[in-house]
Amino acid sequence: MGEVLVITSGKGGVGKTTTTANIGTGLALMGKKVVMLDTDIGLRNLDVVLGLENRIVYDLVDVVWGNCRLKQALIKDKRFENMFLLPAAQTKDKTAITASQMRELCANLQEEFDYVIIDCPAGIEHGFKNAIAGAKQAIVVTTPEVSAVRDADRIIGLLEAAGLKAPKLIINRIRSRMVQAGDMMSIEDIMDILAVDLLGIVPDDDFIVVSTNRGEPAVLDERSLAGQAYRNISKRIMGEEIPLLNIQEKTGFWQKIRQAFGNR
Amino acid sequence: MEMALALDDLKDIQKEKTLLVQKTVRSGQCIRFEGNVVVLGDVNPGAEIAAAGHVAVFGALRGLVHAGAKGDKEAVIIALSLEPTQLRIADHITRPPDGGNWEASSFPEIAHIQDNMVVIDRYLPSK
Repeated sequence: MGEVLVITSGKGGVGKTTTTANIGTGLALMGKKVVMLDTDIGLRNLDVVLGLENRIVYDLVDVVWGNCRLKQALIKDKRFENMFLLPAAQTKDKTAITASQMRELCANLQEEFDYVIIDCPAGIEHGFKNAIAGAKQAIVVTTPEVSAVRDADRIIGLLEAAGLKAPKLIINRIRSRMVQAGDMMSIEDIMDILAVDLLGIVPDDDFIVVSTNRGEPAVLDERSLAGQAYRNISKRIMGEEIPLLNIQEKTGFWQKIRQAFGNR
Repeated sequence: MEMALALDDLKDIQKEKTLLVQKTVRSGQCIRFEGNVVVLGDVNPGAEIAAAGHVAVFGALRGLVHAGAKGDKEAVIIALSLEPTQLRIADHITRPPDGGNWEASSFPEIAHIQDNMVVIDRYLPSK
């Protein structure tokens, strides 16, 4: 029996889909059999981020409605034999499926895969409720912004109310220089408010933009710091103890001098 | 030598109804029609068109188009710029090669079934 994880945030644009793609690929990289589920019906993205958009024939809604068998809708990744995607439908909306249908689907997938990773839509309505229905564990993604942390707090409350105890937190897009300068919320500030287990921190990395647009998850790139962060997170999900990444950017000589004069 | 398929070779489309879509079809929008579909605009990624007959796009085709959706293998897809996510004709499904290094051609193209395969040719209105 595999684990069913939902990746959620409340707020949009904090990196749920990127996180899903990278954790899923990270776990596949370690040899686990993984399926990623895009539940953002009508606004699907996970297929694009994974570079699998042009392979879609059937989707989640087709499976739930019985238009096809589950196996037919699963898209095998082009890099890993052991990684699959169940895409969302694009021309339908969130009400196309129900929470009980999601529970049944997750139970079926759980038989077959080590990890079932659910990419949740933004918001706290129908789509969110569907996404968390079949999950046994939750990962909340936030960024060091007051609004994102506020929404994460709301989501953690909703998850706990729905019986998903002890969600784990990923803080995404940290800019160490801004934190050092006191211009950005620090990890400590965020943990003070949210008080849940920290699963990992991901530095802001220009490479993520490139990799997302190319459909090649950053976790596959050895040089990317964000990729390293996602590899660590994947290992922690598998139960390994890995210390948090040191995300301090290397400061050059001139930068140090500028910093000395207070110009960052 | 480059093959070309001309207007005369197309299955007679005048017997079927044709839907004229006078806008760009955007992501999440879906057009289904029991006949031919002509789009005066683009078909963006994430948009779907399914027609029982032919589909012609007077613009860029970047989304998913299914011609001959009821099984007509003689149906064709024509676009001024053919750069689809996926093309389907009858029960055939094709997608562009991986890598994304291909470039859309600067001339109109036509996709049709030949020898049980979807092939793409330069579209010439007359021979």
